[in-house]
Amino acid sequence: MRHAAVLLLDSSNAVLVLILVSLGLAIIFGLMNVINMAHGEFLMLGAYGAMQLGRIGVPFWLALALAPMLVGAFGLVIEELLIAKTYNRLIDSILATWGLSLFLRQAIVLVFGPGSYAVAAPDVGAVQIFGGPYPVYRLLVMALSLAAIGFTFAVFFRTRFGLAARAVVANRDMAACLGVNTRRLDRITFAFGAGLAGLAGAAMAPLISVDPSAGLGYLVPAFLSILVGGLGSISGPVVGGAGVGALDSLTSAFYSPVWAQLAVFVAVLFVIRVFPSGLVATLRREA
Amino acid sequence: MLEVNRVCSGYGGGVVLDGFSLALKAGEAVALVGRNGVGKTTLMKTIMGLIRPSSGSIALAGKRIDGRAPFEIARAGVGYAPQGREIFAALSVEDNLLLGDLAARTADEAYRLFPALAARRNTPAGRLSGGQQQQLAIARALMARPRLLLLDEPSEGVQPTVVAEIVAALGQIVAQRGLALLLVEQNIEMALALVSRFVLVDQGRAVATHAASAVAADPSLLMGALAL
Repeated sequence: MRHAAVLLLDSSNAVLVLILVSLGLAIIFGLMNVINMAHGEFLMLGAYGAMQLGRIGVPFWLALALAPMLVGAFGLVIEELLIAKTYNRLIDSILATWGLSLFLRQAIVLVFGPGSYAVAAPDVGAVQIFGGPYPVYRLLVMALSLAAIGFTFAVFFRTRFGLAARAVVANRDMAACLGVNTRRLDRITFAFGAGLAGLAGAAMAPLISVDPSAGLGYLVPAFLSILVGGLGSISGPVVGGAGVGALDSLTSAFYSPVWAQLAVFVAVLFVIRVFPSGLVATLRREA
Repeated sequence: MLEVNRVCSGYGGGVVLDGFSLALKAGEAVALVGRNGVGKTTLMKTIMGLIRPSSGSIALAGKRIDGRAPFEIARAGVGYAPQGREIFAALSVEDNLLLGDLAARTADEAYRLFPALAARRNTPAGRLSGGQQQQLAIARALMARPRLLLLDEPSEGVQPTVVAEIVAALGQIVAQRGLALLLVEQNIEMALALVSRFVLVDQGRAVATHAASAVAADPSLLMGALAL
């Protein structure tokens, strides 16, 4: 019983973090038509940011709040310098962001070395789950992820800004003809997407190995989540992330990570074959 | 209000507009007529900034707008209801209207103009009929109180009774606000009810102008532009 509960909690943790990362990626793609191959690196930068802030004496919770903002600000700079130059050129945006990914990884190696770091989790104790301890920090990460996902949805569906963003996703040219400042929206979107990934990285820093390739393990699952869930909606990555994340962590726990990879890819192939536009888009059309 | 001066533009290097010139005074309403493919929609898109002209200039109330981004041109005071409406099908009628002016507190003015929309304010726009969608597209373009309204084929796919409603509403608002209107329309009767001047377009150029009264008296004046 305890084993099942722990498994469920750990899976939920993995799923929520994956959704957080996928959401940022989907928003960037939906609004800007940019495939951000460096998205995993934003997560990695968030982790390194939290780590470095901790090293210079910043209290953990403050570092956790600051690191995503720093990554978001960095995203703003990258958008202006790099992404804006590839406007309307999808292949070029893939090349440019892939180059950025390589650059960021090597830059981190130059500054911090190629090895991995460990970040100490804050001492918030453990709760008893069916007779055994479960770290409170993991529960807090889940709560934080839920809050960030909820915040993103609130912005998209309850604010005028979110309305403009949804219009741009649906029909960028028409939204522009109505006076929506698509340049400003692009900047804010990219920074926000980067910030979400940075938050995932900063929150997960005590739970993972902080090394230059920390982001790579999230990029492919995030893309798969978006494909499964469907492009053009922000519920897509939630559905896709839940499916891919759950399948991955459960198969990993019951069999092995290798089987998990296999299972995920086979499942994704099957879903895309049967629902080419993704699950959410298909459900909507049938409604 | 609008000065289009020898504009050349097209798609992917091809030439559609070939030295197009047109002038519109504030509050003036003009209809563009011509066969399919002569450049009427291309002109609308060029004015709106969706296509960049390769030469020539476009000025709104004396200020150059060619080369500016569509959102800047919209904010300068140009409203656009394109061919095919391009309403946001998944968003509600109210959301579509608010997108016309994100700073607006309500869409009540639009509802006064087109009561059919008020009854359906929470309906996803994709579920409206063709005529209602056209009313939505026009109301949305009017939300930001433009000085110039570009209307591309508003009667397309709309039943005649609704066309009459649209004409009545447009006539009212154009008179009230002193709005300049540039209309592309195959339905000559509708155009006659709204404009004071007809410009014939052929091969990417404005080739002739006729006063509306002259066209009303002798519709064959337009035959040269519309015949194959």
